Amino acid sequence: MSTSSPWRARPSIVWLVYLREMRDQLRDRRTIFTILILPLVLYPLLGSLLLQVAQFSQGHRSSVGIIGAENLPDSPSLLNDQGQFQDELIDSKSPMQVVLHPTMPTIDIEKSSVEASRWVQEGMFDCVLIVPKGFVAEKPDSMQLLYNFTSDPSRAANDRLLQVLVRWRDAWVQQNLAIAGVDQQILKPFQVTSVDIAPSGNRDNAFWSKMLPFVMLVWAMTGAFYPAIDLVAGEKERGTLETLLCSPALRSEIVMGKLAAVTTFSMATAILNVVSMLFTGMFVAKQVFPGGLAGGAMGTPPLAPMLWLLVALLPLSMLFSSLALAVAALARSSKEGQYYLMPLMMMALPLVMLPMLPGIGLNAGTSMIPVTGMFLMARSLMDGQYAFALAHLPIVASITMICLWLATRWAGRQFEDESVLFRSGEQWSVSAWMKHLWRDRQGDPTVGTAFGCAAAILIGLFFAKLAVTSVPADFPGIAKLILVPQIGIVLAPTLLMACMLTRSLSQSLQVRRPPLLSIPVAILLGISLHPAYMALGQLIQYVYPLSDQAVAALSPFEATINNTPIWHVILVLALVPAICEELAFRGFIFAGLLHNNGRLRAVVVTAVLFGLSHGILQQSLAAMVMGLLLGWVTLRTGSIFPSLIIHLLNNSLGVSLGRIAQYDGEWVQYVIDNSDGSPHYRVAWILMAACVSVTCLIYFSVLQPQALSQRKASRRETTKNAAPLSMSTHI
Amino acid sequence: MIEVTNLTKTYDDLQRGLFVAVDNVSFRVGPGEIFGLLGANGAVKTTVLRILSTVLKPSSGRARVLGYDVVQQAEAVRSSIGFVSNNTAIYDRMTAWEMVEYFGRLNAIPSDILRPRLETLFDQLRMNDFRDCPCAKMSTGMKQKVSIGRALIHDPPVLVFDEATLGLDVLVARNLLEVIKTLRDAGKCLIFSTHIMREVERLCDSIAIMHQGRILDIGTLEELRDRHSEHDFEELFFDLLSQHDSKIDADRAGQWSQAWANNAQPTEPA
Repeated sequence: MSTSSPWRARPSIVWLVYLREMRDQLRDRRTIFTILILPLVLYPLLGSLLLQVAQFSQGHRSSVGIIGAENLPDSPSLLNDQGQFQDELIDSKSPMQVVLHPTMPTIDIEKSSVEASRWVQEGMFDCVLIVPKGFVAEKPDSMQLLYNFTSDPSRAANDRLLQVLVRWRDAWVQQNLAIAGVDQQILKPFQVTSVDIAPSGNRDNAFWSKMLPFVMLVWAMTGAFYPAIDLVAGEKERGTLETLLCSPALRSEIVMGKLAAVTTFSMATAILNVVSMLFTGMFVAKQVFPGGLAGGAMGTPPLAPMLWLLVALLPLSMLFSSLALAVAALARSSKEGQYYLMPLMMMALPLVMLPMLPGIGLNAGTSMIPVTGMFLMARSLMDGQYAFALAHLPIVASITMICLWLATRWAGRQFEDESVLFRSGEQWSVSAWMKHLWRDRQGDPTVGTAFGCAAAILIGLFFAKLAVTSVPADFPGIAKLILVPQIGIVLAPTLLMACMLTRSLSQSLQVRRPPLLSIPVAILLGISLHPAYMALGQLIQYVYPLSDQAVAALSPFEATINNTPIWHVILVLALVPAICEELAFRGFIFAGLLHNNGRLRAVVVTAVLFGLSHGILQQSLAAMVMGLLLGWVTLRTGSIFPSLIIHLLNNSLGVSLGRIAQYDGEWVQYVIDNSDGSPHYRVAWILMAACVSVTCLIYFSVLQPQALSQRKASRRETTKNAAPLSMSTHI
Repeated sequence: MIEVTNLTKTYDDLQRGLFVAVDNVSFRVGPGEIFGLLGANGAVKTTVLRILSTVLKPSSGRARVLGYDVVQQAEAVRSSIGFVSNNTAIYDRMTAWEMVEYFGRLNAIPSDILRPRLETLFDQLRMNDFRDCPCAKMSTGMKQKVSIGRALIHDPPVLVFDEATLGLDVLVARNLLEVIKTLRDAGKCLIFSTHIMREVERLCDSIAIMHQGRILDIGTLEELRDRHSEHDFEELFFDLLSQHDSKIDADRAGQWSQAWANNAQPTEPA
């Protein structure tokens, strides 16, 4: 029998593991409670509570005290003969009990206010209306209404009384107009009639199509987390994971079986919650808002379109489940698992909440955001916009599949990694950790130090950005703006960490001699790639247009650059950033993330971090794509020099394209189109250059991954020097 | 059946940094033989056995079970081995029958063979009284029986018992040792790790004494006694350990003096 592929799996064994996990979870009272009982009980309970509160607030009689009722005019009269509000002024659903206080001196309104405030404070009245002497003759706004904002009944009474007073004032105005012989129509010269053209089915959907996907995804996350903790961290804690690992089941089969079980629970939780909420919501809405809410937007939800939710639920549940499984694998116990999964939920929540924001709809930009794109597509399907949703399906599906693939791969890797599965329970302390960092430093950084370096850079850049209030108008100012963060925030922590936390500066920064031919190929790739990179930038700006504010802020910057000697510009905007960023991202961070054969992790995570280090979203996305390519080249060559050359040439061409376009040479017009004043490559040139780039990439693809083989050689050397167990505790 | 050659395992932890846990361990075990791994707590016996059961990967060296390499042919090794350890627990929410049946199915035993094998195994291990009892409600002895049943269901030619008697009462431990002897008589290849010397003396055909990741000596009980001219096995064990520790102390003193000499050199007059 030969070595098994890491992703080979026998369906029968996956099914067996899945069935066992399902049975095991269904025998766990906690799971049953969270997944079955909670949704079935929670929403009806909340619904009945809401009904009771609504009935209470509708039936509750507000008590209103009136001071100075004798000062009110006789016509139009506010109060009837019994001292209560006129029937035509009050709403039958909002009863109010009025108590008059004619004895209170209302000449001094301040004294009355003090006394009345005490009454409201002590709950004697929900609110008090003070009518001063000479109310009619004086300014009509001199009436005072006292209420307590912190008390719900008082606030409700205030609202009700304001409605009464507005109606009374309208009656007063109408009376005054009648006396003056003015037509009342003068107050309303025209009428406006709003016509809702939405089909009634869509109108009913409007509220539910926003609310239900949100509820569904939040519960899909929650439903995945608890089984994931129990199936991995819980099994580790109980010792059954090792039992399973000793069986002939492959790690991939174990992961797939567990993943399927967690996904099932995630989906079941989401579906049960949505169904329970739907039925309770329908019932409560009919009871509390018989005429419909928000212009009828919260109508009875049509059930058939809700089935489209399932289209989004399956991949997203799988995504959440894979992430939860991977993170839970890091924990040694269920308790520890809960600590780890909470930040994951916090990070995923914005992606679920984004579609809830007003004005966010499915478009080319939002369809590329993981989770959000799928959410919005499901909403479009629910609204019956099938063609529109179908047009975005390829992008949404591709992004979701990539995320899913990365997440499942991460979960799979966690089960392959014995340092994750058999993490020792040693006591962590700052001093031991610091000692460990120094004493056990190796030739290259660890995953932890790589992430530490990335965090230091990103946090530093974030605060540096906050400190910049305006774009400088002169080149020395711009140079300072670029060089200080590049050298102080990107390069300095990288070099410091490489010196302090590793034994070899060149090894930790991947400063090695690359294959000789890779240098000219990198030069060719750097030049030929720029047209495609520019086209990518234009595409990104088309999908996510720059705000007018950003364009206005950048225009003086461009003008200054164009008026500065080219070598100064290349030095500041191309060479220094290329050196600093390559040493940090493709050097130190990349080398750290390569640990444990983490080739994909090193390429993808470094690219994402590299993208995040660029301030503007449009720039970040382009940088992320470039980061993937630079990372891959570094992996293939084992050195930062080729990626540095590509980075440098790309930056240099970017800042000098305008000048090249103005160059008085015949060849320029075949390469660059500057007819509209904004230079860009001609399509034919982009295609030709892309062909050259592909040829260069083929060269890199046939190289053996150098980075990893050099890493392995270094690890072998370190292992040879490891202390024996008998000595390690003493020396 | 089992061939371990220069097996080494290194770890990197906070307190000790990079250290060698299993240091160049080699041994062979044949069919119908019980091989005892004797060592105090922390002798790293479990790590060696975890490597044999493919749960951990060696840093260097080689281990083969029935000719299968534990790294390259891990799946074949796991199919040929039954591993019982204190660390290999059983599922609380399953019954004894379900637990053993599950592992039978994981070993891809066809249903028509699995059912009679389960019946026979439950009879042999006297587990019928609690076959439908959830494992959470079982005593330690019952759980250990289920664990053995789980390890035997696919009738593996190699069995590994890692501190299997730990925490068992005398009666249950004695029964377990009897089961192990029966398995040896059936031609199985067994590795039995323990820190209890009496068990090794009574049970094992050959013994390796482990300390701090190294095998200090290896042989049959008689060979060890002859080699060290000590009949009392407990004394023999302690003598070996003290000799090893004295050597370590001497090595350490040598290293200290070397380090001192290196530091002192530059200050010496030319």
